[in-house]
Amino acid sequence: MAGEDYRIIGKSHIKVDGHELVTGQAKFAGDLYFPGMLYGCAVRAAVPAGLLKGIDFSAALQEPGVVDVITADDIAGPNIMGVLPPFDQPVMATELIRYAGETVAFVLGETRKAASRGAALVKPDIESIPPLLSPEESLKKGARKIHEGGNITFSKKLIKGSIEEGFRESDLILENQYETTFQEHAYIEPETVCAVPAGDNRITIHASCQSPFHIRGHIAANLNVPMSKVKVIQSYTGGSFGGKDDVAAEMGILAGTAAIKLRKPVMVIHSREESIIGSNLRHAAKIKIKSGFTKEGLIKARDIKITLDGGAYASESPFVVMKALIHAAGPYVIPHIYVESTAVYTNKTYTGAFRGFGVPQVTFASESQIQEAADKLEIGALEIRKLNALRIGTTTATSQLLENSAGMVETLEEVESNPLAEEGFREDNLYLYGTGYAGVIQGISNGAEGIDVVGASVQMGQDGSVLVGTGLSELGQGSRTVFAQIAAEVLGVPLEMVTSRLCDTDSVHDSGPTVASRGTTVGGISVMKAAGEVKKSLLKMASIMFKTEEKNIILKDGFAVLIFDDSARIPLADVATAAYWSGFPIMNTAFSRAPDSEYDHETHQGTIYIAFNFGTHRMDVRIEKATGKVVVLDHLAVHDVGKVINPMLMEGQVEGASLIGFGLGHMEKILYKDGIIENPNLADYSVPTIMDRIPTKVLSVEEYNPNGPYGAKGIGEPPVAGAAASFVNAVSQAVGVRFDKMPVTREDILKAIGIKRREA
Amino acid sequence: MKIEFICNGKNKAADIEGDTRALDLLRQELGLTGVKEGCGKGECGACTILLNGKPVASCILPAAKLADSEVITIEGLSEANGDLHPIQKAFLDEGAVQCGFCTPGMVLSSYALLTKNIKPETDEIETALSGNMCRCTGYGKIVAAVKRSGELLEDNHGR
Amino acid sequence: MVLYKNPHSVKEAISWLDEGVVIAGGTDLGVKMSDPLYRPDSLVDITGIRELSEIKTDMEGIILGACVTVDELSAREDLPDCIRMGASAIGSPQIRNIATIGGNICNASPCGDTLTPLVVLDALFVLESPEGTREMTATDFFKGPKMTALKKNEILTFIKLPKERLSGRSGFRMIGKRNGQAISQVNAAVWTFIEDGVLKDVRLAAGSVAPVPLRLLKTEDKIRNKKLTPGLIQELKYQIKDEIAPISDVRASLNYRQEVTESLFEEIFSEFLIRRSKK
Repeated sequence: MAGEDYRIIGKSHIKVDGHELVTGQAKFAGDLYFPGMLYGCAVRAAVPAGLLKGIDFSAALQEPGVVDVITADDIAGPNIMGVLPPFDQPVMATELIRYAGETVAFVLGETRKAASRGAALVKPDIESIPPLLSPEESLKKGARKIHEGGNITFSKKLIKGSIEEGFRESDLILENQYETTFQEHAYIEPETVCAVPAGDNRITIHASCQSPFHIRGHIAANLNVPMSKVKVIQSYTGGSFGGKDDVAAEMGILAGTAAIKLRKPVMVIHSREESIIGSNLRHAAKIKIKSGFTKEGLIKARDIKITLDGGAYASESPFVVMKALIHAAGPYVIPHIYVESTAVYTNKTYTGAFRGFGVPQVTFASESQIQEAADKLEIGALEIRKLNALRIGTTTATSQLLENSAGMVETLEEVESNPLAEEGFREDNLYLYGTGYAGVIQGISNGAEGIDVVGASVQMGQDGSVLVGTGLSELGQGSRTVFAQIAAEVLGVPLEMVTSRLCDTDSVHDSGPTVASRGTTVGGISVMKAAGEVKKSLLKMASIMFKTEEKNIILKDGFAVLIFDDSARIPLADVATAAYWSGFPIMNTAFSRAPDSEYDHETHQGTIYIAFNFGTHRMDVRIEKATGKVVVLDHLAVHDVGKVINPMLMEGQVEGASLIGFGLGHMEKILYKDGIIENPNLADYSVPTIMDRIPTKVLSVEEYNPNGPYGAKGIGEPPVAGAAASFVNAVSQAVGVRFDKMPVTREDILKAIGIKRREA
Repeated sequence: MKIEFICNGKNKAADIEGDTRALDLLRQELGLTGVKEGCGKGECGACTILLNGKPVASCILPAAKLADSEVITIEGLSEANGDLHPIQKAFLDEGAVQCGFCTPGMVLSSYALLTKNIKPETDEIETALSGNMCRCTGYGKIVAAVKRSGELLEDNHGR
Repeated sequence: MVLYKNPHSVKEAISWLDEGVVIAGGTDLGVKMSDPLYRPDSLVDITGIRELSEIKTDMEGIILGACVTVDELSAREDLPDCIRMGASAIGSPQIRNIATIGGNICNASPCGDTLTPLVVLDALFVLESPEGTREMTATDFFKGPKMTALKKNEILTFIKLPKERLSGRSGFRMIGKRNGQAISQVNAAVWTFIEDGVLKDVRLAAGSVAPVPLRLLKTEDKIRNKKLTPGLIQELKYQIKDEIAPISDVRASLNYRQEVTESLFEEIFSEFLIRRSKK
């Protein structure tokens, strides 16, 4: 299987949606226009905690162009949303204000400007109450409850073996505390949703979003209409990285409510500021970690406590809690491990899904500590990682046995076989140098988060062209291209004959969210199945036409071809036409379900993921002593991605995720003052520019994954953790100080250099 | 107030207000939605247009400043028959496009650079594109695309 | 409704300022206008006044029109290094292509990257109003963050760079949180006249370390007429520490500003030293 010669799989095809993107013709949600369309703009609380006493919108209604203002009273449904029951997030606040970005009213205007002016003129009467601004404050005895059920959003444990025993067997025990801060997705397209009453007693939601089915459910519930009345069409989406989920639901409910009330299409486009303060961020984390090592470097035990700042609402916190928990051992065998992972409510912007999903935070902690152990035990960075690496036949922290596709050691060896000319600590007059390593593991599929299903449809026209759709969303990562490649491969048509459409909720099975690096893996299988069914009809028809058995026919290059005579060909258009007139189905709607996870909910012991991505990152840095400025001289990212479906797109995923990881490790920091975000813009929130890019070199190890299409595994998220953790290790080596807070900024570096100098 | 200007090679007239942004005029009145709004504060570069050949941020540019000038948007780059401009082709071939929201601005900044300098060095590319943020690609493939664009353009000139 | 006016002379522009706000490149004003409640009656666009976009040289030095773009400044070989470097440190190409020197001055942000160069070059600002024309030094012009000596009906029309500062050496450095589109956490500008390795005259200014671009007079006194040596550079760093009193804010901490200011000046003088010894 793995050695099979593919025509389309494994090749760097350009994106099937590239032409419209590069010409500016692709319609993003904000590019749509419908006659009579109104614009909506949210009024936000602007205080982190308080009681909403009333809302004065008289001035807003007098503003020219303002049409109406809606409030929580206008929401027909329960005015509640969230990811897991009990749902905890109101669409608009009714009484309690839980974070400064909370929506309290929604202004409708004839123009976007009128709506935003109106919103600025609405005066909510809010009585401030002292906010709880850190997990410590929220967890203090007697602390005010942010939600009825208390201030713990979600908490879980993982228990394997006996840490007491493990620590007894250890020669070196390290105890550290690490911290990370909030990170903003900063997709270049702000969240945008347009609700259109369709005139057929249904409502259509055009959305820049990540999970159309998820938002359909919330919109239907809050509009108090059956789900079947709501159609969500994903527009071209300008990046998401986990971010356009809850917020798209919120915007869809607001726009939908207004659209129904006013019987007009309603467009909502977030400003950049709203995009930062009013939609989820990556969790800030505090991680206490104690690990025991033998003098040879074997990790015997780990005791780790992860506390995530969940902000005002649960959002994806429960799943992030679990993901961090499950990944707390990193890509290593740790026989005895105890993990506690807890998300805590605070009066800050809610936190949730962001590329990596809790893994970058624990990876930073784990990789920092392993490096410290390696340094103390005088073991090489790659050596200690190889010594402990998961491999076939070993079990993960959840006791999941790795039976196949576990290339961690291979990624380490690949790094080893690409040595740097110079590495490790160096120093000259102006600069300090250091090299950092990090090992990464990321589970592919929803895993412990629940059932993992994807619907797909493959339709062949009588002309032999193919239309592919799935319930997953294209966010820039290239899923439409990957699905087109898979359909083309199965059906033996050139890629140009395949059209891969955006998702809409009318056309395929509810596919859950596009998350967890599962698109290619689980979605791809679904496309294979649907295409496979169409292929059956084509072969059946062709066998009648050729008057031979099906097994003598293959589909390739747009033809049905006899295997023993390559010149005996029938165009697939003819086969498809004949199939249609013979009543053989040439469309199929398939459904794929990943193998379920089975585990104990108290200890998280069991089989959780259908596959794992493994990786090793190496980063070499140069630091300017006078300013703390860092230049990344070299960055090598090696991942076991299973079969590579499209090398160019795969590289793009690794490069892009790595820069987000670099941002997390070095320069991105949401700054809060008294519960208000002080830098809600792209000038003071430092997203890396092209002048800050890192020279990522991407290599892959292809360990065949039997659960993925053609052996493929996901790659969207894992490099974030690898780049961030290897960066911190590199900088730590260069400066000679272990950094326990991420990001490590120029300022932090200069401070550490100064302290070191004064000590010396 | 009434203004006239040349947009993508065609004469245009518009009636605008003093605080109308160039971005809104181009998108809403002229339907040129390839001009994207990412931040509204001149920070991200998605709204980049070429004003008399130079990249500017149309989200903080009063439409009045378009008067009597020449504007190029992404829509003005590809041929009427749908053929891609060599820069657009290079962006696709090199994998420099992911979500595509920053792409129109990136392509226009590259166009302005390559018009002056068909063989830019890496640091020249970085400076020229420093006002265009991309969150998807990590920029490596964008730099490669600009270099490739230069080669394609040179071939086109028959050199 | 906001009116937009295109005056053709300074006089005409001034006559419209009772209800109007001056706009040049508009890169700062455009950001301000993204505030939905900011609604000036009219915008008076002075970039159509031809002489304000010109750069002239006369017996006394160079005269920059207030509407010269910072992109043009950064490319002018006849201007001192510090002002060219400061101009090219601003924002992004999209901003530099349209932002003006006059706008950068009148916006009076403590981190404006042309301000410290103008201070060390002893620039004179020409201000015109119905009451007449007056000239003012940069030091007198800047009153605080986003505050200037500009009166309601007054326009900054020209910036004069005196001849004495056009020869000699100058330099500029800045640092921000990132490399591209960085906002100065600190910037530093130096003008000096070196003869036989001795700093015969020297002017230093630091940005983002005080409410206004700060001239470092005490440090200048300490190093004036001394031989430029690595030792002197160390002395200078020590002196700077005493003369600046930055604050902590969203962009940087006090300590970082303090330390990096020293480093930036060190870098500038070290480069002077290296280039001199090569000659």
